[in-house]
Amino acid sequence: MQRYIFRRLLQMIPIALGISVLMFALLTLAPGDPVDLLISSDPRVKPEDVVRLKHLYGLDQPIHIRYLKWLGRTVQGDLGFSRTYKEPVTELMRDRIGNSLWLTVTAFVLAVGVAVPVGIYSALHQYSFLDYAATTFTFFGVSIPVFWFGIMAIYLFAVWHPWTQIPGLAWVLLPPGGISTPGVGEGLPFLLDRLRYMILPSIVLALLSMASYTRYTRSSMLEVVRQDYVRTARAKGLAEGVVINKHALRNALIPLITIMALSISGLFAGAPITETVFAWPGVGRLLVDSVIGGDYVAAQAVLMFLAVLVLIFNLMADIGYAFLDPRIKYD
Amino acid sequence: MVRNAVTVPALTVAAPVTQAGEGYWQIAWRRLRRHRLAMGGLLIIALLVATAVFAPWIAPYKFEQIDLLNRFGKPLAPRHLLGTDDLGHDVLTRLLFAGRVSLLVGFAAALSAIALGTLVGVVAGFYTGLVDNALMRLTDIILTLPIFGVLLLLGRYFGGGIAPIVAIIGLFGWTTAARLVRGEILRLRTQDFADAARALGASQSRIIFRHLLPNALAPIIVAATLDVGGAILIEAALSYFGVGIQPPTPSWGNMLQNAQSYMWTSPWLAFWPGAMIFLTVLCFNFFGDGLRDALDPRLRL
Repeated sequence: MQRYIFRRLLQMIPIALGISVLMFALLTLAPGDPVDLLISSDPRVKPEDVVRLKHLYGLDQPIHIRYLKWLGRTVQGDLGFSRTYKEPVTELMRDRIGNSLWLTVTAFVLAVGVAVPVGIYSALHQYSFLDYAATTFTFFGVSIPVFWFGIMAIYLFAVWHPWTQIPGLAWVLLPPGGISTPGVGEGLPFLLDRLRYMILPSIVLALLSMASYTRYTRSSMLEVVRQDYVRTARAKGLAEGVVINKHALRNALIPLITIMALSISGLFAGAPITETVFAWPGVGRLLVDSVIGGDYVAAQAVLMFLAVLVLIFNLMADIGYAFLDPRIKYD
Repeated sequence: MVRNAVTVPALTVAAPVTQAGEGYWQIAWRRLRRHRLAMGGLLIIALLVATAVFAPWIAPYKFEQIDLLNRFGKPLAPRHLLGTDDLGHDVLTRLLFAGRVSLLVGFAAALSAIALGTLVGVVAGFYTGLVDNALMRLTDIILTLPIFGVLLLLGRYFGGGIAPIVAIIGLFGWTTAARLVRGEILRLRTQDFADAARALGASQSRIIFRHLLPNALAPIIVAATLDVGGAILIEAALSYFGVGIQPPTPSWGNMLQNAQSYMWTSPWLAFWPGAMIFLTVLCFNFFGDGLRDALDPRLRL
């Protein structure tokens, strides 16, 4: 097992390098480098300034040299300096990752907490009314455009809320965006305030995962309850609760945990839309802002961070699978 | 494509699933017709496509026609059923024309993603070995990319028109189809009918196009249907961020982006385009799901 993990970690290096080359090429070869952007926004820049700036930022060097220099700095932990945020990218990322974690973890817990019980119920009562309702819900969840859902949620719960018409109930309105009220203090007040800000974005972010986890739980459970060992357990006269919890559920959860591990990175990467709609200062919003704003240094860092995250969670999913299912043997 | 309807006698007696002389597609169609959600989805898709195609004749106004005296009109007004936007465009008219763009992008992008994926999948599955390995590693790398960021980036450089958006979505959307087709081809190429064709001296292209690909068609069609919905969502997201289809060409995504600025005062502007995206994608998902059930050959026995 250790050898397997070690080998997989080694295999991650060429893949990560390949991705970094691809990203770097995409960001660098595209028309309009940062200095060109500067010229277009400031007509006073003289041609000699352009030459000087291009030299200063190293933009006059061939692309492979620039890539190697970037790689050298990056492996030493220096992600460069973001011009739009006037901050080193490392520091920029640190705050953003923290903020994103609040949202991602909450959304993940919410998604699992709803999806697993609903999926199990659906499978055990196949073709019941609630099963149909849950299945239809999963279709809604995977079909709804996240940004529209977010906008509608803001309108309903942060702008127009029927309860706010009642005097003294204006506090029911949720904040339409942002991450905390300025000057809220620390400790419990901070936490409660943060929770209020998280209600809408975490539900919006969780919906897609919730829908797909519900589907997977249902189908995994349906698969398992048909197995011979479940029939054997019933034939032995075990109580239905024991059959379901001990024999069926535990086996049904194995593929589910893999899918969840694989999707955590997806949840992280899927946050850009939610974070933008709710003005949540996380990694996803940094990605959107830096890509659209042409801040290549920050964009490259965020893109690489997300790619490495996917690689790590893929590995964790495989390892988790081996731990949970003794039939799987890696060598 | 010819498939012999082999049925298990015992089962046929209990439930005559297959009728004599019915081909595979007839059986699938019969099964699909019983699937209410799928047929409902198909009906609405047909309606949406019809309104998109005939938009210039159905729409009450021209899509670029503005009415500056009548901006931010509320819905259900006598002259503007769904209201007017910030420039006095008739919202219903814009929705119909935007549907043309969004549906066109959806179909074209899904088609190019599936075509590319099928090509990669066939090559990888048929030739196996080194080619297969290289293509699958490429697929792995693309699946590891933070795809949304890459799409935003490419949209920023090349977006604006319909063709570049289709190309971008197609270029990064083929991986699922490639894996699917590769799996099918790997499974089919070792089966007896493929061996028989090879023994009879059939050329490689004949084996691929006459024997293998037709048998892999069912999952490809299902993936294509689901991809249309996915592509519409991606186009809408890119347009929402301002790097997809650029105004004045209306798309549901850029209508939503524009509407967001006036959310506090004219919320209906944001409601309609999003609702159209939601409805369209939902219908494609319902239809694709029904199609999967109907085409699944394992259910036929």
